[in-house]
Amino acid sequence: MMSLEEISQKIQASAKRLLAEGRAEVVIGYRRGTTPLTVAPHFARTAEDCDQLVWSSFAKINLATYLPKYPGKVALVAKGCDARSAVGQVVENQVLRENLYIIGVACNGMVDVERILAGEPRPAFEATEDQATIKLSGEGWITSLAREEVLRRNCRVCVSRTPSATADEVIGDQTEPLSADDFADLKELAGRSPADKLAYFKGLVKECLRCYACRNACPLCYCPVCFVDETRPQWLGKSQDEMDTFTFHVLRAFHCAGRCTSCGACETACPMDIKLREFNRVLESEVQKDWQYTPGLTWDQKPPLTTYRPDDEAEFIK
Amino acid sequence: MAEYIVKENALRAFFQALAQERRLLAPVRVGGKLQMAEARPEEVTLDYGNTHQSPKSAFFPQTERLMAFHKDTAQSDPFVYKPLGLDKITPTVLFGLRPCDAQGLAICDQVFQNDRFTDPYWKTKYESSIKIGLACDQPGPACFCTAVGGSPYGEAGLDALAAVKDAGLALKAITEAGAEFLKKLPGLESGAAESELAERRKAVESKMPGPLDQAKVAAGAILDIFNQPHWKDTADRCLNCGTCTFVCPTCHCFDIQDEQNDKGGVRMRNWDTCMSWLYTVHGTGHNPRPTKTERMRQRFLHKLKYIPLKQNGQSGCIGCGRCVTLCPVNIDIREVAKQMNG
Repeated sequence: MMSLEEISQKIQASAKRLLAEGRAEVVIGYRRGTTPLTVAPHFARTAEDCDQLVWSSFAKINLATYLPKYPGKVALVAKGCDARSAVGQVVENQVLRENLYIIGVACNGMVDVERILAGEPRPAFEATEDQATIKLSGEGWITSLAREEVLRRNCRVCVSRTPSATADEVIGDQTEPLSADDFADLKELAGRSPADKLAYFKGLVKECLRCYACRNACPLCYCPVCFVDETRPQWLGKSQDEMDTFTFHVLRAFHCAGRCTSCGACETACPMDIKLREFNRVLESEVQKDWQYTPGLTWDQKPPLTTYRPDDEAEFIK
Repeated sequence: MAEYIVKENALRAFFQALAQERRLLAPVRVGGKLQMAEARPEEVTLDYGNTHQSPKSAFFPQTERLMAFHKDTAQSDPFVYKPLGLDKITPTVLFGLRPCDAQGLAICDQVFQNDRFTDPYWKTKYESSIKIGLACDQPGPACFCTAVGGSPYGEAGLDALAAVKDAGLALKAITEAGAEFLKKLPGLESGAAESELAERRKAVESKMPGPLDQAKVAAGAILDIFNQPHWKDTADRCLNCGTCTFVCPTCHCFDIQDEQNDKGGVRMRNWDTCMSWLYTVHGTGHNPRPTKTERMRQRFLHKLKYIPLKQNGQSGCIGCGRCVTLCPVNIDIREVAKQMNG
């Protein structure tokens, strides 16, 4: 298997080539972070900047989030989910295809840092990694974790680990798609009473701070003004009122229905570690059931909830 | 000032005594996270790095109902706002404040009560509380209190300071209020703590980062720092998500909101964040901080330039490291501070 160092070197080489050829003004990737278990998004504009680009198991934020606001030509270092989000943005006319170059990277999943830290209460001052292990060390101790064991939940059911169908080039050994989320747990949820379901979803967001980090980290949330920030009229209260908080999460999830690529950026950004994807998963399963649609896998597929056909089979829409 | 030793087998009784005297806030697990929250004596832990969120909500809740009115015209005072909560403040004791957080609260205190105005909602809660710190023996990878004028054994903003000693506590009073409170506490045994605390302070400080040079930021003109080129680079990756402001012990901005129904209404204040577009947008639609660059820059200037200017050189960042740890894109205030001073 290609090592993380080899992948990083190939990303750096591609980035330099694309900048030199004028194919991109900036390459958006990752560089080493300032604390253990982190990487920082990195905007490389010069060959020197490119030397800092790395590939890592901590690359959990979705870089496609930066694309809709970026006016020029961009090359994006993309794992499968980032590429799917970028494709979605092109399909939704938020990003020009000709301005986008996707450096696809064969991804083996990203690790769940919150989970690692929850399992290791001692302060870790250093973390090293390869494709199989994460090593943590602190004052007088060192411990090894199998990467497979600490993958994020969404990475365990990833249908596009390598974005081969959409990327302009692919780096690393192709990784096969995993079997998709079977939503088995949602069947049990569907059988519950409406009151029980309401209590379940309200419970999920009980700790919400209304900081909206989930929204800002989401590659789908590109609205110039979010409905929660509208003031004329103000649609939603701003306090920690349970119903206002709940409404924000439900509405955001509905806005993402049929578009969410399960990248997990929302959960990654959430300072309270709320399991935000549980809202999206319900809608994902509905969209797949009704339209057999998985977003972001091809360039020519419109999200089902954004299309209209006069011969639609549903009566209400005619 | 008085010094005490609380032996391991007397710890439970100590926390019980605290809870008997006052409402006890201490580090406890809430929803899987260690938080400074209302605690039962048996839940209090001494084994933690720092609480997940800062303790500021003890005095400055995320949503605080300030005043309310009713619409019952049969009564004499319909539609008149009346203050809420000021007449029934529960005396509180906070145990386990980290010195960095206590310093953070002291900075907020200067904002909420100073020679220009006094916020009664903050004042009544803050001043009536007893704050007992727990010195920090295991600073984490993102801790840098020593770089911004603090210490893991710092005393600012505290009425008393404790350190873990033989699974019990060494404890000393710092303020008169702290001494008075501890003196009345049943079952507390006197014992030498001061020299132990001083020694340990030196040992822990020596493992921590040295002072962050902010001399040029302090001497520099605001406009020069304002126009430094590095802001754009940091802003590139900033998501304006606001996590830094929500977890920061010294971020104190709020938004006043009125809500009403057919029976009455309430005026409340909620935490706000300068990372938000809405924070500065004017009624005209003009926004003086139109992009994320200006918004992100505002936060760092506030921490590292404006607060030091207004509070005798005290850094607005107390080095707790929460924003460093929780920023989803690894914007590290230590790096930004160096760039500002560069």
